[in-house]
Amino acid sequence: MSKSDAQTAQAHQSDPYRKTDKGGSNTGNLTETLMEELNCETVFTLPVVGGISESVVVTWILMAMLVLLSIIFVRNLRVENPGKVQLALEAGISWAQDFFEGVIGKENRRYVPYLITVLLYLAAANTIAPLLGFKPPTKDLNVTAGLAIMSMCLIEFSGIRKNGLKHWVKHFAQPIPVVAPIMVLEIVIRPLSLCMRLFGNMLAGFVVLELLKFFVPLIVPIPVSFYFDIFDGLLQAYVFVFLTALFMTEEME
Amino acid sequence: MISINLNLVWNIINLIVLYLLLKHFLIGPVMKVMEQRRQMIEEGFKSAQTAQDDANRLKQEYETALSGAKQESVQLIEDARKSAKAEYDRIISEAGEKADTMLESAKESVLIEREQTMKELKSQIAGLAAASAAKIIGGNADDKESRDLYDQFLKEAGEGDGNADK
Repeated sequence: MSKSDAQTAQAHQSDPYRKTDKGGSNTGNLTETLMEELNCETVFTLPVVGGISESVVVTWILMAMLVLLSIIFVRNLRVENPGKVQLALEAGISWAQDFFEGVIGKENRRYVPYLITVLLYLAAANTIAPLLGFKPPTKDLNVTAGLAIMSMCLIEFSGIRKNGLKHWVKHFAQPIPVVAPIMVLEIVIRPLSLCMRLFGNMLAGFVVLELLKFFVPLIVPIPVSFYFDIFDGLLQAYVFVFLTALFMTEEME
Repeated sequence: MISINLNLVWNIINLIVLYLLLKHFLIGPVMKVMEQRRQMIEEGFKSAQTAQDDANRLKQEYETALSGAKQESVQLIEDARKSAKAEYDRIISEAGEKADTMLESAKESVLIEREQTMKELKSQIAGLAAASAAKIIGGNADDKESRDLYDQFLKEAGEGDGNADK
Protein backbone atom coordinates (compact mmCIF):
# COMPACT_ATOMS: atom_id res chain seq x y z
CA MET A 1 0.00 0.00 0.00
CA SER A 2 0.95 3.63 -0.30
CA LYS A 3 2.45 3.78 3.09
CA SER A 4 4.59 6.81 2.31
CA ASP A 5 1.59 8.76 1.07
CA ALA A 6 -0.32 7.93 4.19
CA GLN A 7 2.65 8.97 6.24
CA THR A 8 2.90 12.30 4.45
CA ALA A 9 -0.79 12.83 5.02
CA GLN A 10 -0.32 12.09 8.68
CA ALA A 11 2.68 14.34 8.77
CA HIS A 12 0.49 17.07 7.37
CA GLN A 13 -2.09 16.46 10.02
CA SER A 14 0.48 16.69 12.75
CA ASP A 15 1.83 19.82 11.15
CA PRO A 16 2.27 22.47 13.85
CA TYR A 17 1.06 25.14 11.40
CA ARG A 18 -2.20 23.31 10.93
CA LYS A 19 -2.65 22.65 14.61
CA THR A 20 -2.39 26.26 15.60
CA ASP A 21 -4.64 27.57 12.84
CA LYS A 22 -7.98 25.89 12.31
CA GLY A 23 -10.94 26.76 10.08
CA GLY A 24 -9.96 28.85 7.08
CA SER A 25 -6.39 27.75 6.99
CA ASN A 26 -7.55 24.11 6.96
CA THR A 27 -8.86 24.40 3.43
CA GLY A 28 -5.78 26.30 2.45
CA ASN A 29 -3.69 23.51 3.85
CA LEU A 30 -5.71 20.91 1.97
CA THR A 31 -5.30 22.76 -1.26
CA GLU A 32 -1.63 23.10 -0.61
CA THR A 33 -1.25 19.40 0.08
CA LEU A 34 -3.30 18.46 -2.93
CA MET A 35 -1.38 20.81 -5.16
CA GLU A 36 1.82 19.36 -3.87
CA GLU A 37 0.62 15.85 -4.63
CA LEU A 38 -0.76 16.79 -8.02
CA ASN A 39 2.26 18.75 -9.08
CA CYS A 40 4.69 16.92 -11.29
CA GLU A 41 7.93 17.84 -9.73
CA THR A 42 11.05 18.27 -11.75
CA VAL A 43 13.31 15.65 -10.29
CA PHE A 44 16.55 16.93 -11.79
CA THR A 45 17.69 19.20 -14.52
CA LEU A 46 20.03 18.14 -17.29
CA PRO A 47 22.35 20.78 -18.73
CA VAL A 48 21.12 20.76 -22.34
CA VAL A 49 17.66 19.18 -22.42
CA GLY A 50 16.27 20.83 -19.31
CA GLY A 51 14.07 19.49 -16.52
CA ILE A 52 13.25 15.83 -16.20
CA SER A 53 9.88 15.45 -14.51
CA GLU A 54 8.79 12.88 -11.99
CA SER A 55 6.69 10.94 -14.47
CA VAL A 56 9.68 10.37 -16.72
CA VAL A 57 11.74 9.06 -13.83
CA VAL A 58 8.90 6.78 -12.68
CA THR A 59 8.58 5.57 -16.25
CA TRP A 60 12.27 4.74 -16.22
CA ILE A 61 11.80 2.76 -13.04
CA LEU A 62 8.83 0.98 -14.57
CA MET A 63 10.79 0.22 -17.70
CA ALA A 64 13.65 -1.20 -15.67
CA MET A 65 11.22 -3.31 -13.68
CA LEU A 66 9.40 -4.61 -16.72
CA VAL A 67 12.59 -5.44 -18.57
CA LEU A 68 14.10 -7.08 -15.51
CA LEU A 69 11.01 -9.18 -14.92
CA SER A 70 10.91 -10.13 -18.60
CA ILE A 71 14.53 -11.25 -18.47
CA ILE A 72 13.90 -13.26 -15.32
CA PHE A 73 10.77 -14.96 -16.65
CA VAL A 74 12.02 -15.52 -20.17
CA ARG A 75 15.45 -16.74 -19.03
CA ASN A 76 14.89 -20.45 -19.49
CA LEU A 77 12.01 -20.94 -21.85
CA ARG A 78 11.56 -24.45 -23.10
CA VAL A 79 9.61 -25.73 -26.05
CA GLU A 80 8.94 -29.05 -24.35
CA ASN A 81 7.83 -29.51 -20.76
CA PRO A 82 7.34 -25.84 -19.87
CA GLY A 83 7.27 -24.89 -16.22
CA LYS A 84 4.33 -23.35 -14.42
CA VAL A 85 5.76 -19.83 -14.66
CA GLN A 86 6.32 -20.23 -18.36
CA LEU A 87 2.83 -21.61 -18.85
CA ALA A 88 1.33 -18.63 -17.03
CA LEU A 89 3.48 -16.24 -19.08
CA GLU A 90 2.53 -17.92 -22.32
CA ALA A 91 -1.12 -17.95 -21.36
CA GLY A 92 -0.96 -14.20 -20.70
CA ILE A 93 0.89 -13.38 -23.89
CA SER A 94 -1.27 -15.63 -26.02
CA TRP A 95 -4.42 -14.15 -24.47
CA ALA A 96 -3.21 -10.67 -25.40
CA GLN A 97 -2.16 -11.86 -28.84
CA ASP A 98 -5.51 -13.51 -29.51
CA PHE A 99 -7.33 -10.47 -28.19
CA PHE A 100 -5.48 -8.02 -30.45
CA GLU A 101 -5.55 -10.34 -33.43
CA GLY A 102 -9.27 -10.63 -32.91
CA VAL A 103 -9.59 -6.86 -33.13
CA ILE A 104 -7.09 -5.90 -35.84
CA GLY A 105 -7.03 -9.16 -37.76
CA LYS A 106 -4.45 -11.86 -38.17
CA GLU A 107 -2.81 -10.21 -41.16
CA ASN A 108 -1.88 -7.16 -39.07
CA ARG A 109 -0.13 -9.05 -36.32
CA ARG A 110 2.98 -6.90 -36.64
CA TYR A 111 1.25 -4.24 -34.51
CA VAL A 112 0.51 -6.70 -31.71
CA PRO A 113 3.86 -6.35 -29.86
CA TYR A 114 3.45 -2.58 -29.59
CA LEU A 115 -0.09 -2.93 -28.27
CA ILE A 116 1.04 -5.53 -25.73
CA THR A 117 3.85 -3.18 -24.68
CA VAL A 118 1.41 -0.32 -24.14
CA LEU A 119 -0.96 -2.60 -22.26
CA LEU A 120 1.80 -3.79 -19.95
CA TYR A 121 3.17 -0.29 -19.46
CA LEU A 122 -0.23 1.20 -18.68
CA ALA A 123 -1.17 -1.66 -16.37
CA ALA A 124 2.08 -1.20 -14.49
CA ALA A 125 1.89 2.60 -14.50
CA ASN A 126 -1.71 2.76 -13.27
CA THR A 127 -1.19 0.28 -10.47
CA ILE A 128 2.21 1.48 -9.34
CA ALA A 129 0.75 3.86 -6.73
CA PRO A 130 -0.62 1.16 -4.40
CA LEU A 131 2.11 -1.30 -5.22
CA LEU A 132 5.27 0.77 -4.86
CA GLY A 133 4.11 4.15 -3.62
CA PHE A 134 5.10 6.20 -6.62
CA LYS A 135 2.75 8.72 -8.13
CA PRO A 136 1.27 7.12 -11.23
CA PRO A 137 2.95 8.62 -14.33
CA THR A 138 -0.37 8.47 -16.19
CA LYS A 139 -1.72 11.35 -14.13
CA ASP A 140 0.82 13.52 -15.92
CA LEU A 141 -0.68 14.87 -19.13
CA ASN A 142 2.69 14.58 -20.86
CA VAL A 143 2.65 10.81 -20.53
CA THR A 144 -0.89 10.29 -21.79
CA ALA A 145 -0.30 12.82 -24.57
CA GLY A 146 2.84 10.97 -25.59
CA LEU A 147 0.94 7.69 -25.65
CA ALA A 148 -1.87 9.27 -27.63
CA ILE A 149 0.52 10.78 -30.16
CA MET A 150 2.13 7.38 -30.64
CA SER A 151 -1.33 5.86 -31.07
CA MET A 152 -2.24 8.55 -33.58
CA CYS A 153 0.91 7.88 -35.60
CA LEU A 154 0.23 4.16 -35.46
CA ILE A 155 -3.41 4.54 -36.49
CA GLU A 156 -2.61 6.70 -39.50
CA PHE A 157 0.48 4.69 -40.41
CA SER A 158 -1.43 1.41 -40.36
CA GLY A 159 -4.09 2.91 -42.61
CA ILE A 160 -1.55 4.26 -45.10
CA ARG A 161 0.44 1.04 -45.08
CA LYS A 162 -2.60 -1.12 -45.66
CA ASN A 163 -4.42 0.85 -48.34
CA GLY A 164 -1.81 3.22 -49.74
CA LEU A 165 -1.41 6.99 -49.46
CA LYS A 166 -3.91 7.68 -52.24
CA HIS A 167 -6.68 5.75 -50.54
CA TRP A 168 -5.78 7.39 -47.22
CA VAL A 169 -6.20 10.86 -48.71
CA LYS A 170 -9.38 9.85 -50.50
CA HIS A 171 -11.05 8.29 -47.48
CA PHE A 172 -11.53 11.74 -45.89
CA ALA A 173 -14.14 12.54 -48.52
CA GLN A 174 -16.22 9.47 -47.89
CA PRO A 175 -19.05 8.79 -47.93
CA ILE A 176 -19.68 12.38 -49.11
CA PRO A 177 -17.14 15.22 -49.46
CA VAL A 178 -19.08 17.40 -47.01
CA VAL A 179 -17.84 15.35 -44.06
CA ALA A 180 -14.19 15.94 -44.99
CA PRO A 181 -13.52 18.55 -42.27
CA ILE A 182 -14.94 16.24 -39.61
CA MET A 183 -12.93 13.33 -40.94
CA VAL A 184 -9.75 15.42 -40.85
CA LEU A 185 -10.57 16.54 -37.33
CA GLU A 186 -10.97 12.91 -36.39
CA ILE A 187 -7.22 12.42 -36.79
CA VAL A 188 -6.76 14.65 -33.77
CA ILE A 189 -9.98 13.89 -31.93
CA ARG A 190 -9.35 10.19 -31.61
CA PRO A 191 -5.96 10.43 -29.87
CA LEU A 192 -7.17 13.45 -27.89
CA SER A 193 -10.05 11.42 -26.53
CA LEU A 194 -7.69 8.57 -25.70
CA CYS A 195 -5.31 10.95 -23.97
CA MET A 196 -7.95 12.82 -22.00
CA ARG A 197 -9.87 9.71 -21.00
CA LEU A 198 -6.80 8.12 -19.51
CA PHE A 199 -5.52 11.32 -17.94
CA GLY A 200 -8.93 12.29 -16.54
CA ASN A 201 -9.57 8.88 -15.03
CA MET A 202 -6.20 8.58 -13.42
CA LEU A 203 -6.15 12.18 -12.19
CA ALA A 204 -9.65 11.91 -10.77
CA GLY A 205 -8.85 8.66 -9.03
CA PHE A 206 -5.68 10.16 -7.66
CA VAL A 207 -7.43 13.29 -6.41
CA VAL A 208 -10.23 11.30 -4.79
CA LEU A 209 -7.73 9.07 -3.10
CA GLU A 210 -5.59 11.96 -1.88
CA LEU A 211 -8.66 13.69 -0.44
CA LEU A 212 -9.72 10.52 1.28
CA LYS A 213 -6.26 9.97 2.65
CA PHE A 214 -6.26 13.53 3.92
CA PHE A 215 -9.47 13.05 5.87
CA VAL A 216 -9.42 9.32 6.75
CA PRO A 217 -5.86 8.13 6.63
CA LEU A 218 -6.63 4.72 8.13
CA ILE A 219 -8.02 1.51 6.47
CA VAL A 220 -10.80 3.25 4.48
CA PRO A 221 -8.46 4.19 1.59
CA ILE A 222 -7.57 0.52 1.04
CA PRO A 223 -10.77 -0.64 -0.75
CA VAL A 224 -11.05 2.73 -2.46
CA SER A 225 -7.48 2.38 -3.67
CA PHE A 226 -8.31 -1.09 -4.92
CA TYR A 227 -11.15 0.37 -6.94
CA PHE A 228 -9.46 3.51 -8.26
CA ASP A 229 -5.92 2.24 -8.71
CA ILE A 230 -6.17 -1.47 -9.44
CA PHE A 231 -9.60 -1.90 -11.04
CA ASP A 232 -9.88 1.46 -12.80
CA GLY A 233 -6.19 1.43 -13.65
CA LEU A 234 -6.36 -1.96 -15.38
CA LEU A 235 -9.66 -1.04 -16.99
CA GLN A 236 -8.22 2.16 -18.42
CA ALA A 237 -5.17 0.31 -19.71
CA TYR A 238 -7.48 -2.17 -21.41
CA VAL A 239 -9.68 0.58 -22.82
CA PHE A 240 -6.71 2.52 -24.16
CA VAL A 241 -5.20 -0.36 -26.13
CA PHE A 242 -8.58 -1.71 -27.16
CA LEU A 243 -9.63 1.64 -28.60
CA THR A 244 -6.27 2.10 -30.30
CA ALA A 245 -6.66 -1.31 -31.94
CA LEU A 246 -10.24 -0.50 -32.86
CA PHE A 247 -9.29 2.81 -34.47
CA MET A 248 -6.53 1.02 -36.39
CA THR A 249 -9.04 -1.51 -37.72
CA GLU A 250 -11.33 1.33 -38.69
CA GLU A 251 -8.51 3.07 -40.50
CA MET A 252 -7.39 -0.09 -42.26
CA GLU A 253 -10.81 -0.79 -43.76
CA MET B 1 -0.08 21.34 -12.82
CA ILE B 2 -1.40 20.57 -16.27
CA SER B 3 1.19 21.56 -18.76
CA ILE B 4 2.67 20.14 -21.90
CA ASN B 5 6.40 20.52 -22.07
CA LEU B 6 9.54 18.77 -23.27
CA ASN B 7 8.77 15.81 -21.01
CA LEU B 8 6.28 14.74 -23.67
CA VAL B 9 9.19 14.01 -25.97
CA TRP B 10 11.03 12.07 -23.26
CA ASN B 11 7.92 10.01 -22.65
CA ILE B 12 7.56 9.19 -26.31
CA ILE B 13 11.22 8.18 -26.45
CA ASN B 14 10.71 6.13 -23.30
CA LEU B 15 7.77 4.37 -24.88
CA ILE B 16 9.67 3.55 -28.04
CA VAL B 17 12.63 2.28 -26.04
CA LEU B 18 10.32 0.23 -23.84
CA TYR B 19 8.67 -1.18 -26.93
CA LEU B 20 11.99 -2.25 -28.39
CA LEU B 21 13.18 -3.68 -25.08
CA LEU B 22 10.02 -5.63 -24.37
CA LYS B 23 9.83 -6.86 -27.93
CA HIS B 24 13.37 -8.13 -27.64
CA PHE B 25 13.21 -9.52 -24.13
CA LEU B 26 9.64 -10.60 -23.57
CA ILE B 27 7.30 -10.81 -26.53
CA GLY B 28 9.81 -12.02 -29.09
CA PRO B 29 11.12 -15.00 -27.13
CA VAL B 30 7.73 -16.03 -25.80
CA MET B 31 6.13 -15.87 -29.23
CA LYS B 32 9.09 -17.72 -30.69
CA VAL B 33 8.72 -20.51 -28.17
CA MET B 34 4.98 -20.72 -28.77
CA GLU B 35 5.55 -20.76 -32.51
CA GLN B 36 8.17 -23.47 -32.13
CA ARG B 37 5.81 -25.54 -30.05
CA ARG B 38 3.04 -25.04 -32.55
CA GLN B 39 5.36 -26.15 -35.35
CA MET B 40 6.50 -29.13 -33.32
CA ILE B 41 2.95 -30.23 -32.72
CA GLU B 42 2.11 -29.73 -36.35
CA GLU B 43 5.14 -31.74 -37.38
CA GLY B 44 4.16 -34.47 -34.97
CA PHE B 45 0.72 -34.61 -36.47
CA LYS B 46 2.15 -34.63 -39.94
CA SER B 47 4.62 -37.41 -39.21
CA ALA B 48 1.92 -39.42 -37.49
CA GLN B 49 -0.26 -38.97 -40.56
CA THR B 50 2.61 -40.02 -42.82
CA ALA B 51 3.34 -43.06 -40.68
CA GLN B 52 -0.28 -44.06 -40.79
CA ASP B 53 -0.42 -43.59 -44.52
CA ASP B 54 2.70 -45.71 -44.88
CA ALA B 55 1.24 -48.42 -42.69
CA ASN B 56 -1.98 -48.39 -44.70
CA ARG B 57 -0.07 -48.54 -47.94
CA LEU B 58 2.06 -51.44 -46.70
CA LYS B 59 -1.02 -53.24 -45.48
CA GLN B 60 -2.60 -52.82 -48.89
CA GLU B 61 0.54 -54.14 -50.51
CA TYR B 62 0.69 -57.11 -48.22
CA GLU B 63 -2.93 -57.88 -48.81
CA THR B 64 -2.42 -57.72 -52.54
CA ALA B 65 0.67 -59.90 -52.27
CA LEU B 66 -1.15 -62.34 -50.04
CA SER B 67 -4.12 -62.69 -52.35
CA GLY B 68 -1.70 -63.05 -55.27
CA ALA B 69 0.13 -65.79 -53.42
CA LYS B 70 -3.12 -67.54 -52.68
CA GLN B 71 -4.09 -67.40 -56.32
CA GLU B 72 -0.66 -68.59 -57.30
CA SER B 73 -0.78 -71.51 -54.92
CA VAL B 74 -4.17 -72.48 -56.22
CA GLN B 75 -2.80 -72.25 -59.75
CA LEU B 76 0.23 -74.32 -58.76
CA ILE B 77 -1.88 -77.04 -57.21
CA GLU B 78 -4.12 -77.03 -60.24
CA ASP B 79 -1.12 -77.31 -62.54
CA ALA B 80 0.40 -80.07 -60.47
CA ARG B 81 -2.87 -81.95 -60.47
CA LYS B 82 -3.19 -81.52 -64.20
CA SER B 83 0.31 -82.69 -64.91
CA ALA B 84 -0.07 -85.58 -62.49
CA LYS B 85 -3.27 -86.60 -64.23
CA ALA B 86 -1.58 -86.37 -67.61
CA GLU B 87 1.30 -88.47 -66.36
CA TYR B 88 -1.11 -90.99 -64.88
CA ASP B 89 -3.05 -91.20 -68.09
CA ARG B 90 0.13 -91.53 -70.05
CA ILE B 91 1.42 -94.31 -67.82
CA ILE B 92 -1.86 -96.14 -67.87
CA SER B 93 -2.21 -95.96 -71.60
CA GLU B 94 1.41 -96.96 -72.04
CA ALA B 95 0.93 -99.91 -69.77
CA GLY B 96 -2.21 -100.88 -71.64
CA GLU B 97 -0.38 -100.64 -74.92
CA LYS B 98 2.49 -102.66 -73.61
CA ALA B 99 0.15 -105.30 -72.31
CA ASP B 100 -1.64 -105.37 -75.65
CA THR B 101 1.58 -105.79 -77.55
CA MET B 102 2.77 -108.42 -75.15
CA LEU B 103 -0.50 -110.32 -75.52
CA GLU B 104 -0.31 -109.97 -79.26
CA SER B 105 3.22 -111.22 -79.46
CA ALA B 106 2.41 -114.08 -77.14
CA LYS B 107 -0.51 -115.03 -79.33
CA GLU B 108 1.64 -114.74 -82.38
CA SER B 109 4.38 -116.89 -80.94
CA VAL B 110 1.83 -119.46 -79.90
CA LEU B 111 0.44 -119.46 -83.39
CA ILE B 112 3.87 -119.73 -84.94
CA GLU B 113 4.77 -122.55 -82.62
CA ARG B 114 1.62 -124.33 -83.48
CA GLU B 115 2.19 -123.93 -87.14
CA GLN B 116 5.70 -125.13 -86.72
CA THR B 117 4.50 -128.17 -84.81
CA MET B 118 1.87 -128.82 -87.42
CA LYS B 119 4.49 -128.55 -90.06
CA GLU B 120 6.75 -130.92 -88.24
CA LEU B 121 3.88 -133.30 -87.62
CA LYS B 122 2.88 -133.17 -91.24
CA SER B 123 6.37 -133.92 -92.40
CA GLN B 124 6.65 -136.70 -89.92
CA ILE B 125 3.32 -138.11 -90.96
CA ALA B 126 4.33 -137.77 -94.53
CA GLY B 127 7.59 -139.56 -93.80
CA LEU B 128 5.80 -142.25 -91.89
CA ALA B 129 3.27 -142.60 -94.55
CA ALA B 130 5.97 -142.87 -97.13
CA ALA B 131 7.93 -145.35 -95.01
CA SER B 132 4.86 -147.38 -94.27
CA ALA B 133 3.88 -147.31 -97.91
CA ALA B 134 7.35 -148.46 -98.91
CA LYS B 135 7.20 -151.14 -96.34
CA ILE B 136 3.84 -152.28 -97.57
CA ILE B 137 4.88 -152.23 -101.19
CA GLY B 138 8.40 -153.49 -100.75
CA GLY B 139 7.95 -155.94 -97.79
CA ASN B 140 6.18 -159.25 -97.45
CA ALA B 141 2.52 -159.18 -97.51
CA ASP B 142 2.33 -160.79 -94.17
CA ASP B 143 -0.87 -160.31 -92.32
CA LYS B 144 0.78 -160.22 -89.06
CA GLU B 145 3.42 -157.81 -90.06
CA SER B 146 1.01 -155.54 -91.86
CA ARG B 147 -1.29 -155.54 -88.92
CA ASP B 148 1.59 -154.50 -86.72
CA LEU B 149 2.49 -151.79 -89.11
CA TYR B 150 -1.04 -150.42 -89.09
CA ASP B 151 -1.13 -150.43 -85.43
CA GLN B 152 2.13 -148.69 -85.20
CA PHE B 153 1.01 -146.17 -87.76
CA LEU B 154 -2.20 -145.54 -86.10
CA LYS B 155 -0.57 -145.33 -82.77
CA GLU B 156 1.94 -142.89 -84.01
CA ALA B 157 -0.66 -140.94 -85.86
CA GLY B 158 -2.88 -140.91 -82.78
CA GLU B 159 -0.03 -139.82 -80.67
CA GLY B 160 0.79 -137.19 -83.19
CA ASP B 161 -2.77 -136.00 -83.27
CA GLY B 162 -2.99 -135.96 -79.52
CA ASN B 163 0.14 -133.96 -79.33
CA ALA B 164 -1.08 -131.56 -81.88
CA ASP B 165 -4.40 -131.07 -80.17
CA LYS B 166 -2.89 -130.50 -76.85
